[in-house]
Amino acid sequence: MENSTILQDLKQAVVDGDYRDAVDLTTELLEIGAAPRQILDEGLIAGMNIVGDKFKTGACFVPEMLIAARAMQRALDVLRPSLVDTGVEPIGTVVLGTVRGDLHDIGKNLASMFLEGVGFRVIDVGVDAPADKFVEAVRENQAQILGMSALLTTTMSYAAEVIKALEQADLRQKVKVIIGGAPVTAEWAARIGADAFAVDAATGADRCKELMQGSAL
Amino acid sequence: MNNRQRFNATMHYQPRDRAPITDFGFWEETFPIWYTQGLPRRIKYRYDKSNHVDYFGMDCGLDAVARSAEMRIGLSPYFRPKVLEDRGDHEIFQQTDGVRVLRRKFLGSIPQHQAHLLTDRASWQKHYKPRLDPDDPRRLPKDWAERVQRWKEPDRAEIVALPGGSLYGWIRNWMGVENVSLLLYDDPAWFEEMVETVADCIIGALAQALASGVQFDGCGMWEDMAYRGGPLISPKHFKQFLVPHYRRITDLLHKHGVDIVWLDCDGDISLLVPHWLEAGVNCMFPLEVGTWGADPIKYRQQYGKDLRIMGGFDKHILQGAPAQIEEEVQRLAPLVEEGGYIGFCDHRVPPDVPLENYVFFLEMVRTVWGHGVNLRPMGVVC
Repeated sequence: MENSTILQDLKQAVVDGDYRDAVDLTTELLEIGAAPRQILDEGLIAGMNIVGDKFKTGACFVPEMLIAARAMQRALDVLRPSLVDTGVEPIGTVVLGTVRGDLHDIGKNLASMFLEGVGFRVIDVGVDAPADKFVEAVRENQAQILGMSALLTTTMSYAAEVIKALEQADLRQKVKVIIGGAPVTAEWAARIGADAFAVDAATGADRCKELMQGSAL
Repeated sequence: MNNRQRFNATMHYQPRDRAPITDFGFWEETFPIWYTQGLPRRIKYRYDKSNHVDYFGMDCGLDAVARSAEMRIGLSPYFRPKVLEDRGDHEIFQQTDGVRVLRRKFLGSIPQHQAHLLTDRASWQKHYKPRLDPDDPRRLPKDWAERVQRWKEPDRAEIVALPGGSLYGWIRNWMGVENVSLLLYDDPAWFEEMVETVADCIIGALAQALASGVQFDGCGMWEDMAYRGGPLISPKHFKQFLVPHYRRITDLLHKHGVDIVWLDCDGDISLLVPHWLEAGVNCMFPLEVGTWGADPIKYRQQYGKDLRIMGGFDKHILQGAPAQIEEEVQRLAPLVEEGGYIGFCDHRVPPDVPLENYVFFLEMVRTVWGHGVNLRPMGVVC
């Protein structure tokens, strides 16, 4: 079977959330000498992009997204050593967390899955994260993007504190900031000085790709 | 009219003197902050005990209505709630549903799930299924007979509602949202079994209450299965797994004259409303407005009088200027007059709503929706 056919099957396995097939097809592709980068881009990321589009348009929901993400991650576990060996780099590094005072993590976790699914390296600083934790993670990992999640009207304003902390640490010009969460709007994100707003996890991944290319809000 | 007559007339589009003036309660953190803004410290609010209703000039609080039957409809016995680890500002806590959470001690957020007892069929059989026996003697309160006698008195003023439980939200909490989402594909038969078991428990418990012959005024269910992006499961799965069991519950209720069934679900519920209506659930609560812009008026236009609504007053407007609060009260007034709608804050009032705003809101509500009723609010003058 040609590589392209197997790659198509791998893409579909991710879309369908069939992790067993995703792992088997990834293994087969490696055995026949397919380039790890090609497997990642044309198999796994291509599949997650389809899922992301479906999620954004309401054609699929959280369970469908999660089984696709699981299939992608299990296949990536098989692929990762080869990616490292061949020097394939992530497209960028994102520090991600839920802001101080807020313990919600499902939005952040979905965002993390989509970001990894499209090729980012994600540094998850967890929930209830204070400003200095975000700042330190950005500095240590030389992240290009900082993503913050806030689910409550009472906690969303802390995102502005984090942006100030980045300025005080002389990091604001080196990192793009994206914010998401139930009460967050594009207007509010712009008002506090963020570079982008994510209405959902899949759109957030798209915005992060645009931020890497220099697009703003 | 007494509270019960007014509530039933409102929900059945019948003539009434005015709108019920009520609320859905407050965050735990709200009153401590309002004490610093002038609320007398003798005014207390807790879900199961409060004296705020008279102070604020309302007819009743819906928390009291929701717990009026004092039945245990879900897990029985509960898991023992206990602090497992003190982490200063946070603690790891085991809830009465068996879930271990990380929670803040003050200025709370929905806690973060840390560990779940419900992970597989074995743990379901061991920890949860035995707690879902409808015949557990603890399901009715010890003073059930006295309550029934009181509730059967003619001209009863008390609104008495049955608890209707939850078909998805409980299971989601017991397992975690990621695990239950994967389960829909990994073992749908087991998910279905759990839903059916929960429904059997709810129906068995409700049947005992309904057998008393009391005329209950409604039944309140809960799910919290949506967010700003819509439902946590697809409408297809919702229809496949949940609608048949909602139908079993509402059929039983209807058979005993309980025709108002409200469902508590935050987030954007728009994709699920038609399926709830199909299933016999005919009142949406608290109709969170959110960034998705839910609007009680638009819902009434779309679904007509079949759909009742409670809540729907945007909490963000309560945080804003008095003029905006008054404008929204006026905007919703025709819907209030039509009936089938009881307006209040679209969730528990959060601590970033100033006390003076909330007092002003209630003043407007009493003036406009309440036709100028004087419910004698004490202490604070607008």
